[in-house]
Amino acid sequence: MSTMEAAFGLILHWNVLATIMAAALFGLFVGAIPGLTATMAIALLVPVTFFMDPVPAVGAMVACSAMAIFAGDIPGTLLRIPGTPASAAYTNEAFRMTQKGEAERALGANLLFSAVGGLFGTLVLMFTAPWLAEIALKFSSFEYFWMALLGLTCAAFIGASAPVKGLISLLIGLFVATIGLNNPAGVPRFAFGNANLMGGIDFISAMIGLFAVSEVLRTVAGGARQAPMVQASIGNLFRGWGRLLKTYWRQQLRGNILGTAIGVLPGSGADIAAWVSYAISRRFSKTPEKFGTGHLEGIVESTSANNSSLAGAWVPALVFGIPGDSITAVVIGVLYVKGLNPGPTLFLTDPQTIYAVFLIFILANLIMIPFGWGTIKLAKQILRVPSKMLMPIILAFCIVGAFATNNTVFNVSVMLVFGVLGFVMEENEIPIAPCILGIVLGPMLEQNFVTSMIKADGSFLGFFERPIAASLGVVTLLIWSWSLASYLLARQRSPHAADVQAAGRGPTKP
Amino acid sequence: MRFNDAVLGAVLLAFSITIGLWARSFPAIPGQEYGAAVFPTLVAVALGGCALLLILSGLRQGGGVLLFEGWARAPGGYVRILCTIALVIFYILAAKPLGFIPTMTVVLLFTLRMLKTGWLPAIAVALATAIVLQWSFGNFLQVPLPWGILSAWRF
Repeated sequence: MSTMEAAFGLILHWNVLATIMAAALFGLFVGAIPGLTATMAIALLVPVTFFMDPVPAVGAMVACSAMAIFAGDIPGTLLRIPGTPASAAYTNEAFRMTQKGEAERALGANLLFSAVGGLFGTLVLMFTAPWLAEIALKFSSFEYFWMALLGLTCAAFIGASAPVKGLISLLIGLFVATIGLNNPAGVPRFAFGNANLMGGIDFISAMIGLFAVSEVLRTVAGGARQAPMVQASIGNLFRGWGRLLKTYWRQQLRGNILGTAIGVLPGSGADIAAWVSYAISRRFSKTPEKFGTGHLEGIVESTSANNSSLAGAWVPALVFGIPGDSITAVVIGVLYVKGLNPGPTLFLTDPQTIYAVFLIFILANLIMIPFGWGTIKLAKQILRVPSKMLMPIILAFCIVGAFATNNTVFNVSVMLVFGVLGFVMEENEIPIAPCILGIVLGPMLEQNFVTSMIKADGSFLGFFERPIAASLGVVTLLIWSWSLASYLLARQRSPHAADVQAAGRGPTKP
Repeated sequence: MRFNDAVLGAVLLAFSITIGLWARSFPAIPGQEYGAAVFPTLVAVALGGCALLLILSGLRQGGGVLLFEGWARAPGGYVRILCTIALVIFYILAAKPLGFIPTMTVVLLFTLRMLKTGWLPAIAVALATAIVLQWSFGNFLQVPLPWGILSAWRF
């Protein structure tokens, strides 16, 4: 129990609590503004967390991401524009409810089930992470190699419109990770003799470029969006919460479980959790014909799923140092900066910090209810903030943030290069998330691959000699062959279907 | 700025060949078979494979080199993107001699005007943002943002 007391001691400081509150408000604002994603909120927040102690830094990121994912539902419901990609799955449904005059019912359900989903994911995190850490202590380079490869595989193949493009994004990320001196042999690679490049590409600057600058470029290219007017009036949010919990307990539980599981799966996050849950809700519904007409059932299930996946994503991040989604990819980077190297030993050396993170998760999901209520009440004002003013300010934050990572203007160049790269990638439907996971996991993958090759004396069979390594390897290879087979099958069945689909899709994301 | 998949594939193929060849020049560790070149070579081979697949699908798809959709139909979008990139480069070059506040004000003012914010709000937002950032990051978080020509008035 003393660990728990120490954990409480770590978070019960006015500055820790104030940081969490401020990050929560920031997350709510960014999440509620269409076009600004939860990952972008985190990318903009990270430079500020450099100057904090580990616990408030991590707490700020937990609170910010949970709030941003919830707040994405607000413009989705009121304007039919998802605030973050994680809300896109049920935006139409929620907007139909607004058209029927049920905006407060939809938003109230979003708030309630987001908070409950977050708490469920946290419970899973609290109970599985320490248990998995004990298993992970016995892992050798073979297991870590397969874990990393499995994570990257999922990132590349799940949720990408075309698996080849997901793979390309991933490989670009892996290449970026090889730049510099940071490799098992200590040889300078792809550095052009440049001292800054020798140190490797700064991951935070790359991230700010990929997720924030690319969005600024997209806005600049298309011209600023007009701030739309919210027409709906919002009544009492809390009405009928008890009945909601009773009516939809099954959907909620299923959404929570599925969301957490998808979160735990390395490389897939809140947006995929929401899409899958919505589809499953429809599939098992007694009234599937009501879906799409402003029916609450699917919203409950998917809004539960996207928030519960956030905590789930922390399981592989804390236990193995393998990010569950792009948000935890940043978190891992920050943990390294703070000297809290993620991995099973963290549970032995610093259990109080881990428990403090758990407590912050609970706190963040509890304050979501009053804070979320306030944000919904202020939604009309927040959504009126014009993007023609917001985007230049975000660009300024990006520049300062990239500079602050290392206090060199070189990182601003890194940010710019990755901003352009991210913009071109998204325009061509190459997803960004696998790239960022490649950059984070690249060094770990290479280190464990080379070590394992040396240990196994170059025999690939050595990778399958230990039981856990063998199972992980088989799962990875199964996903590879399954993706390849379904790709070939789809192509054989309709040789032009994929192309038609690709041509019909718009160049910009919702 | 949507390219034909074949174009993307060709660029990526050239890139993967470059990194593959470059990786061959990395020194080997004596007595060790797996050195610095192994991993980049694997990445290059995989990327080259994906690039070939893209080229194939792009050729089957046909059509022009560049697809003109959405903002890409008008030339203004390209100009605005290039201007934004130029502004960040301007910041990189000018921040140290000019100082953070003047440089950032210029960057913000241009971007705000480009997105059609009125002159008065643009000037107000640009100045206020630059000063608040200098104050918050410079003093509060101790990021050494350069003062440049305003060194005499630092706060």
